[in-house]
This record gives sequence, structure tokens and C-alpha cells, in this order.
Amino acid sequence: MLAVNDVFAVYDGAITALEQVSLSIGPGSLVALLGPNGAGKTTLLKAIVGMLPFERGEVTAGDILFEGASVRGCHPAVVSRRGIALVQDGRQCFRELSIAENLRAASLVSRQGAADRFEMVLHYFPFLKEMLDRPAGVLSGGQLQMLVIGMAIMSKPKLLMLDEPSLGLSPVMVQSVFDVVERLHREAGLTVIVAEQTVPRLLKLATDVYVVSRGRIVMHAPPSEMTEERLQRIYLN
Amino acid sequence: MTYILQLVTAGLAVGSVYALIAIGIVLIYKCSGVVNFAQGAFVMMGAYLTFAASRLGLPPVLAVTLALVLMAGIGVLAERVVLRPMLKAPVVAVMMVTLGMLIMIRASCLAVWGPDPLAFPRIFPDGALELFGVFITYNYLTAGVLSILLSLGFLGFYRFTAVGLMQRCAADNPRAALAIGIHTSNQVSLAWAMSAGLAGVGGTLLATLNGLSLGLADIGLIAFPVIVLGGLTSLGGALVAGLLLGLLQSFTDGLLSPMIEDLLRAHTRIYSVGALQQVVPYALLVAVLLLRPQGIFGRKGSERL
Repeated sequence: MLAVNDVFAVYDGAITALEQVSLSIGPGSLVALLGPNGAGKTTLLKAIVGMLPFERGEVTAGDILFEGASVRGCHPAVVSRRGIALVQDGRQCFRELSIAENLRAASLVSRQGAADRFEMVLHYFPFLKEMLDRPAGVLSGGQLQMLVIGMAIMSKPKLLMLDEPSLGLSPVMVQSVFDVVERLHREAGLTVIVAEQTVPRLLKLATDVYVVSRGRIVMHAPPSEMTEERLQRIYLN
Repeated sequence: MTYILQLVTAGLAVGSVYALIAIGIVLIYKCSGVVNFAQGAFVMMGAYLTFAASRLGLPPVLAVTLALVLMAGIGVLAERVVLRPMLKAPVVAVMMVTLGMLIMIRASCLAVWGPDPLAFPRIFPDGALELFGVFITYNYLTAGVLSILLSLGFLGFYRFTAVGLMQRCAADNPRAALAIGIHTSNQVSLAWAMSAGLAGVGGTLLATLNGLSLGLADIGLIAFPVIVLGGLTSLGGALVAGLLLGLLQSFTDGLLSPMIEDLLRAHTRIYSVGALQQVVPYALLVAVLLLRPQGIFGRKGSERL
């Protein structure tokens, strides 16, 4: 479904953030993209959705194929229409707009079936039903994380990518977020990539694991072979 | 009582045009973070373009429509050619550039149409309507009603349409807007187009009331107290504040100035306070900034001019 082939990326034309990164993700998989802070996880996800040029970065070599067609150099709007949704770090939503408007805005990229997806979001996140007319800015960190995942669902993705969804959340909220991710993968059949620093729960859910360090993929293994000790060794090195 | 109603109608008519122009400034600020000092120049140029189109023999509706379209194009051009390359520049530099655009557009109009006021073609019928003893000329009536309808129509567009929603998303959080597939740069261009188009129509309406001259560009300076009063980021606030300022100017001119002059004549050798209504917007601007810096409808934390 997604193939990243020998991708290099830089910021400000000089600072190398990704070096010869390759990965391959099949449909229906749930991939854990692990790595320490600053390893290049976020850069990789942004390279896939075409957001690097908006943050003074660029993909300088390699190719990114989604369902057989290249998305390298495509505008995020085009990538989004092809079916890739990125839930960015920092719970990026529209805090002055109501929750209903946030969800509606996210569906503009693919309006067909938006009403059904809206019901689906409310099914996964029932607490939103009571708050649809309230500004998104009033939500707590965990609730915001649920909202931005809901927004990603509204864009009708085939591939859902989440960038550090557990960051700054209480253990209970982290549990809830991963419950939802697992259900979306299992029930809605979404292909999912979750970038995290380390979450034991994620390793239990994942069907495949890539580890990134200093802009390179340093390990690709099934979750069963990925132990805390191995991860620690990679992170410390 | 009739006199008061007369002042109210005149104030609302002029205030609604202020509102129309101020809404354009707020829209650009929300979408691109630019305080556009060239808005007054857009107002003036819109009026001159309507004038030129009328001279070519176009009927009024077509002349105004053509001016609106041309002004929208000029707005896009200003954003793409002048402002976009300055995305990372300091705020003060960007403000200076919009001031530069104001001077350039004014100089261009001066070069083409000369310094003298011109007789603006009659767009609305002559005469006046009497309503409850209040006479209001068709010029004022039509300019006021059209401005309010345009302002409300624009607010409705911004609030209820998909494009309006995209505009609000791009204004609220460009990074999140990009991620959900919104072309944020196109939205900024669209905001400039709509803002310049609104300014062009506002300029035409003002010219029907006050005649056509380079002085129309000064209206941009009156629009700034309006947006400060309304809250820099509130479109609805700009509408209400525009109407309030129009009323305030009308009452200052029709009631307050004569009262002060009577008082001064009785006790001093001063016989006139001049155009006191011209001072009112700026006195209000200072008062608002001192007492409620976020304006009537703005929230605390909004940036101020």
C-alpha cells in the first residue's frame, strides 16, 4: 500500500533529517514506528503527506509510492484526497471553531459519505455528541486527541498515521487512545502507522515494527522480536 | 424627534459603508496576519474604476460589477506578488509594504485621473424618500441598504458555506488546515480578492455620497478605529462598530458640534469647532485602546494594532 524508497530529506537545505529511509507497509497492517526524540519519525510522516515544504524542509531523493502512484512532491491536499490522513503531534485542530465545524471541515476533502463517517466518529467518541456546538478549545488534552483522530476519520482515509498520540496524556487516556486505534484497525479495516517513542501497549497491537534513529531505519522486525532491552540499546546508542 | 431620526438614518448609511470596508481589513488580518494599510487605496481605486467603466458607456450595474472583479484581481495580485514573498518578514516591514502600496495606488490614480474631484456618474435615482417625516435621499438609502446587505451576505458566506469554513480553518490554524487538505495559500489569495472587491464596492458607494476624489483613500484611516472598536479579529464586530461610528459621527456633526459652538460663542471668541466629527473616530480609538484594548467583540489576547 505504501512504499518509501531510499528517501532523503533535509531542513533549510542543509540539515539532514532522513537518510536513505525505506519501508513497505501492506494493506490492513498496524505499524509501530518507534524511535527516540529527534530520530526523524515526524519528518518521515510529514514527508509522506507532503508537509515538509511548509516547514522549510524537502525530500531531496528517493520516492514515496501510495497504492502504486508517487506522492512525492504532492501538495498535502492532493495526498489527503488520495487517502492518507496524518494526525499531527500537538493535537492540531481549529480551537475557535465548534467541534461539529472541525469535523465538517475535515470532511471537505471527501464529501461523499460524510454523514455516515460523522455517525462513525460519534460512535467511537460518544462524548463528542454532547459537545458538538462547543468550541474545540474547551476540550482537555485527551479529548482533543480523540477529536483530531475523529477529524482524520472524517477525511475518509485508507492509511491513518498518528504522530505521538500519547504525548502528554495520562496513562488512562493513553489506554483509551490505543483502544480506539485498535478498534479502527480491526473494525474499520484501516491501515495504521503509529509513531511513538515507546509504548508497550503499541507493541502488543502492532503487526510490524520499524525503528528509526538519527534519520535512518535501524531495525525492522515483527513485534515479537522487539524487546524493551533492544529498544533501549538502540535509543542509548 | 424627526431631526434625531434624520441623524440616525444618515449615520447608519455612512456607517454601513465603513463597516463594509472594515470587514475587508479584518478578513485579511485573520487570514494572512497582515494589517493592510492599503485598504483605503483599494476603496479609492474601486471608485475610479467604476467611474472609468461608466465613461466607457457601461450601465451602472455592469460598471460596478466590472470594478469589483478588477479590484478582486488587484487584491490577488497584491497578495501573490507583494505580500507572499514577505511571509517570513517582520510585521513592521509588512505594514510598511502595505503603506507603500497605498502611496503607489494613490499616485497611479493621480497620474491617470488628475488631482481634481470628478463628478461621479449617477448610479442611483435622484430624489428622496419620506418615511415618518424623515427625508432620506435615494443615494443614502441605496448605499446604506446595499452595504448592509453586502456585509450580512459576506458574514453569512463566511459562516455557512464550505469555502467560508475553509477560510476560517486557514485563519485559525494553517498547519491543521494543510493537514486536512485545505490549500491555505489559495484561501489567503481568496481573502485578499474578497477584501479588495468589497473595498471597491464600498468606494463606489462612498463616491455616490461624497463625490470622487483622491481623498477617498483616507477612508482607510477611519476603518482602523472601526476594527479596533469591533475587535481586530471579529467580522461581526466590524459590522456593528462601523454602524456605531457612523452614528457617532452623525450625532457629533448634527448635535454635539452646534451645542459646543453655542457654548463657546457665549463665553469665548471661538465661533467654530471645525469638523469635530472627523476627530471623533480617533478619540474613540484612543479611548477603546485605553479602556478595552480587545475591542467590544474581541477576546483578550487578540493582537492590537
